[in-house]
Amino acid sequence: MSKTPSFREQIERSGVSRRDFLRFCSYAAALIGLDAAGIPKVVQAFEKKPRPPAIWLHFQECTCCSESFIRSSHPIVADIILNQISLDYTQTLQAPAGEAAEKSKTDTMKNYYGKYVLLVEGAVPMKDDGVYCTIGGRSAIDILKEAAEGAALIIAWGSCASNGCIQAANPNPTKATPVHEILDKPVINVPGCPPIADVMSAVITHFLVFGRLPELDGQGRPKEFYSRRVHDTCYRRPYYDAGLFVESFDDEKARKGYCLYKMGCRGPVTYNACAVTKWNAGTSYPIQSGHGCLGCSENNFWDNGPFYRHLASFPGFGIETTADTIGTVVGVGALAGVAAHAITTNIRKRKLINKHIEESANNEKNKGEGE
Amino acid sequence: MARLVVDPITRIEGHLRIEAVVENGVIKDAYSSGTMVRGFELILKGRDPRDAWAFTERACGVCTTVHALASVRTVEDALNIKVPKNAELIRNLMFCTQLVQDHVVHFYHLHALDWVDVVSALKANPNDTSRIAKSISNWPKSSPKYFRDVQNRLKAFVESGQLGIFANGYWGHPAYQLPPEVNLLAVTHYLEMLEWQKELVKIHAIFGGKNPHPNYLVGGVPLSINLNEVNALNSERLNFVKKLIDDAIQIVEQVYIPDLIAVAGFYKDWAKWGGGLRNYLSYGDLPTRGYSQVDSFKFPRGVVLDRNLNEVHEVNVRDAEEIKEYISHSWYSYSGGDDVGLHPWEGETEFNFTGPKPPFKQLNVDGKYSWLKTPRWKGKAMEVGPLSRMLVAYASGNKEVQEVVNDTLKQLDVPVGVLFSTLGRTAARGLETKLVVHWMKGFYNDLIANIKNGDTKTFNDEKWDPDTWPKEAQGVGMTEAPRGALAHWIRIKDKKIENYQLVVPSTWNASPRDANNQRSAYEAALIGTPVANVDQPVEILRTIHSFDPCIACAVH
Amino acid sequence: MAVKNAVYRRVYVWEFPVRLYHWVNAICVALLIVTGYLIGKPIAIEYGNEAYQQYWFGTVRFIHFVSAFIFFFNFLVRIYWGFVGNTYARWQNFIPWKKSQWHEIKEILKVDILQRDVGERISIGHNSLAGLVYFLTFLVFLFQAFTGFALYSSMSSSFFPQLFSWVVPFMGGDFAVRQWHHMFMWFFIVFAIIHVYLVFYHDYVEGRGTTSSMVGGWKFEREEDL
Ligand code: HEM
Ligand code: HEM
Ligand code: NFV
Ligand code: SF4
Ligand code: SF4
Ligand code: F3S
Ligand SMILES: [Mg+2]
Repeated sequence: MSKTPSFREQIERSGVSRRDFLRFCSYAAALIGLDAAGIPKVVQAFEKKPRPPAIWLHFQECTCCSESFIRSSHPIVADIILNQISLDYTQTLQAPAGEAAEKSKTDTMKNYYGKYVLLVEGAVPMKDDGVYCTIGGRSAIDILKEAAEGAALIIAWGSCASNGCIQAANPNPTKATPVHEILDKPVINVPGCPPIADVMSAVITHFLVFGRLPELDGQGRPKEFYSRRVHDTCYRRPYYDAGLFVESFDDEKARKGYCLYKMGCRGPVTYNACAVTKWNAGTSYPIQSGHGCLGCSENNFWDNGPFYRHLASFPGFGIETTADTIGTVVGVGALAGVAAHAITTNIRKRKLINKHIEESANNEKNKGEGE
Repeated sequence: MARLVVDPITRIEGHLRIEAVVENGVIKDAYSSGTMVRGFELILKGRDPRDAWAFTERACGVCTTVHALASVRTVEDALNIKVPKNAELIRNLMFCTQLVQDHVVHFYHLHALDWVDVVSALKANPNDTSRIAKSISNWPKSSPKYFRDVQNRLKAFVESGQLGIFANGYWGHPAYQLPPEVNLLAVTHYLEMLEWQKELVKIHAIFGGKNPHPNYLVGGVPLSINLNEVNALNSERLNFVKKLIDDAIQIVEQVYIPDLIAVAGFYKDWAKWGGGLRNYLSYGDLPTRGYSQVDSFKFPRGVVLDRNLNEVHEVNVRDAEEIKEYISHSWYSYSGGDDVGLHPWEGETEFNFTGPKPPFKQLNVDGKYSWLKTPRWKGKAMEVGPLSRMLVAYASGNKEVQEVVNDTLKQLDVPVGVLFSTLGRTAARGLETKLVVHWMKGFYNDLIANIKNGDTKTFNDEKWDPDTWPKEAQGVGMTEAPRGALAHWIRIKDKKIENYQLVVPSTWNASPRDANNQRSAYEAALIGTPVANVDQPVEILRTIHSFDPCIACAVH
Repeated sequence: MAVKNAVYRRVYVWEFPVRLYHWVNAICVALLIVTGYLIGKPIAIEYGNEAYQQYWFGTVRFIHFVSAFIFFFNFLVRIYWGFVGNTYARWQNFIPWKKSQWHEIKEILKVDILQRDVGERISIGHNSLAGLVYFLTFLVFLFQAFTGFALYSSMSSSFFPQLFSWVVPFMGGDFAVRQWHHMFMWFFIVFAIIHVYLVFYHDYVEGRGTTSSMVGGWKFEREEDL
């Protein structure tokens, strides 16, 4: 078998010009704070090394982002980790444990300082010195900051790392915090609980294939996958526009696959690629399988419940209390107040009315006199 | 006496730390600590019970769906909701999908590297590997060329000098006993199964919209059945499920089980170690006539005590005296004092970290030392998981289970006693996978038959509206997750969750000691395990991995 | 008892642009409330039409968006008129800068809530309390327009709604924006109830033609107060 091509050779083979490659390198250099003089170093790094090294950290998470990642179908995950990147550290899959595992990480951080990709899964508990998540006796905060220092590129996987996700839901007992709020470096956020497998692999390979980072929106999300609402591309959208809604699970309308808006679907307020890219190699996505979108790629979505209503409960009241319940009470109260006011006015204002009558009679009279 | 610390334990789910006392190359004592907590039981308070499945499902993405299933059953129990037949069958299919996929991934991607030396595979003769492969299985991908290609890929990978996930593995350790040819076979299947595991879970995507974390529904399942509609569960979707099941049967029978038996044959020593506890608990699952009919379960419910396979004891999860959680060695406090045990309906979750401030070298194992609580059944430590399921079924006289267990023991030429070990645990996982993948086909056929009979109902809406609920209610929901007995307990008050407690399989197995200093399964199993080289504790990994740890689950 | 002669003179308070603004606004708000409510809680259609045969929900949303645009630009006109219109239309009426305005607010509260008789002279344009409430209402108009156009920005790539797209991350996501937008619908409903009632009430207690003033523009003031 021939020698494994270097990263640069690989991307040039895929039709990327030397100029684009240099642009990518300068972006990576800017990310790690190298000035123009430092750029050649990054160029060298990717030119010489066959595969960009990657460190995948695990903090407060359920590991479903890793699980989703290994479901990638194009490219398949074996291709990514054998041919495209060198995944040097990930507790879920790596062979060594304990100190030997940590060595894999420290080696990469040292030997590829400024040149490795940092992938983070999970939120970071900031309360009480970080005792709520430790690895090898060290706090997650510590580990993250150390690994971020020499990273050329940082990707926050899933809602946990990009917006805090479930552990950050009220009352956020451990002060779980997303990565971008801790680091003062740019972070690519790939939200979702979990993100779609093929979106994850596309985000990783985007820069390998095109030699530059995907364009990001204001929240650090790749526009490629997060610029459209699920609702905008949902195949049930015609039913929405026609006003044909499922009224109850498994009713006649559910069996026809009408719009799930009234079952609490969060598609209209959720930015994700589900309706187009779909899940598990295009097999389905939540709405296609009869359940509304939970909004799993949106900030704070756990606290936007309950899930089976399209808007949340009114803050501070019971879960059955919506803005409409409160509004109706206030509205009816206003009507009743107005009615009561009108009645008392008529009773209490006898004198005033008599005065007005007198006044107008007087005016009538004066009018006559003046003639 | 040296304290050996292994943290992180890798190739598991979550953050697990093992501290072991090693004397003359043998483990004398061990401490298991979960080092990450999120506070699910605190976060669930005050929420809509119908949403709880989505929250609890996020306890774990590896055993995704099992908490969702336990959760919907918990709420259905509290509100007395019966789910339609189709919903039961679809839930069973999702259960089986999870179990099979999780076990295959565990065997090849989490456990295998404890037994398989990747580097040694480079030395293999692909012709011999092909011969071995053909002798143990009919799996078509077995030509010399196929194995040579994989070997060449592996060579190029190793020569690149970037070993990625294989860097710093314990390659060449004397505990590795497979010949290079079998190592090559296993590495080849490592890659093949990495590709296949993503196929089976499409069943979750079909019924639940995605995997990981498919959708569930209190009262049934979200997807409607309609054979006259493209927009529902129709014959195309059902055919898709059928194909995935048929493939799974082939994979399990022609790849997983033959590999398991081939590898096990070289490691019979490991039938001596890792037994640990002598008590086994299973809640049972896979109802065939409604969840209330426990005798209809494919996996029976019960307890085996003191490894006595002639008797099965009854379990009652509602009984305030049977299941209790202790926190004497866990970083929590109870209002009634830290040495009492609480039944989950009365359960409390309040953080109380007393460990050393990070960074630290060693935990104070005389005090509190883990984020896991410690569950006990009638005061006894129990092992849960595939081994417990097989033993409880075996002891219950389940013919299917007895047959598959006895056959395998005969094939390996070993007595029943070997089951109580690291090897037994790993074997039990494979054996139940073989049963489940066939049961799955049965559930599929039942679903088809039911639809044929004109029953397309998938959801029971009677108690959907919270106005139909009593002011107060409590419930419990159980399942058998891939790692063992899982249950959730709920208290509902004023339509909101008042208390929600999860007692998870890995909580049973990986917990710290209880108030009486009794060890739980991991700690007990490690005692007596040899450690040839403290810098390369592959033996610890073998025994711990045989439980398939999930610490995010365990702590939640 | 000798009754004093009260001689009233006509005063042109509401110029045509103000009246036009008012009624366009009232109609838009009414449409926005009705269509907004339906968007939030669509009625269940019980007959068997297929999607291609109907578009009622799309139509409801269309009416919402058309009214929204008219509502917003109409409002901009009113903001402009606050700088160039007659004394009654000007901004100084809306914010109580002066002590006398605060005094009037107290007096009006006595009239409105304690139902005292009208003692002192009430301003011929907006009374100070009404002015203040309208000012707060204008702020809510802005809030509703900003949240509305922010939601609209993800449905339209045209330049105008895009000006509001920053509101979404600012408020924490589309869900939060929608939630607030929905909650403030109730402000409009409650405002309309109280507002219309108070117009009639003041007409009644002041006897100066308040109600019709928004139609013809004229109010009546005692000669001696002019
Ligand atoms: C008096 C003023 C308004 C009221 C009372 C009002 C009310 C509402 C209500 C109740 C909803 C439904 C929210 C829900 O439950 O999800 C809504 C939706 C919406 N409104 Fe308004 N609205 C007003 C003004 C505006 C304006 C000025 C705009 C600007 C374009 C606007 C744009 C929207 C949009 C885009 C939606 C979402 C429609 C959809 O997703 O289909 N609204 N409005
Ligand atoms: C039958 C219905 C209505 C009548 C008779 C009416 C009448 C009036 C009158 C007489 C005024 C001047 C009050 C004053 O002297 O201070 C006024 C002002 C105002 N009304 Fe109404 N109104 C009606 C409905 C509405 C509605 C539905 C709205 C919408 C929310 C509304 C919004 C306003 C506003 C914003 C002003 C201040 C106008 C300005 O100075 O630009 N009105 N209305
Ligand atoms: N322990 C555990 Fe789970 C399982 N199986 C859950 O109930 O893994 Ni994440
Ligand atoms: S974002 Fe969701 S899927 Fe990913 S680790 Fe967090 S909880 Fe799991
Ligand atoms: S199902 Fe959800 S995403 Fe799809 S059209 Fe309806 S509301 Fe929008
Ligand atoms: S719940 Fe998540 S998976 Fe997609 S459809 Fe909604 S963003
Ligand atoms: Mg618990």
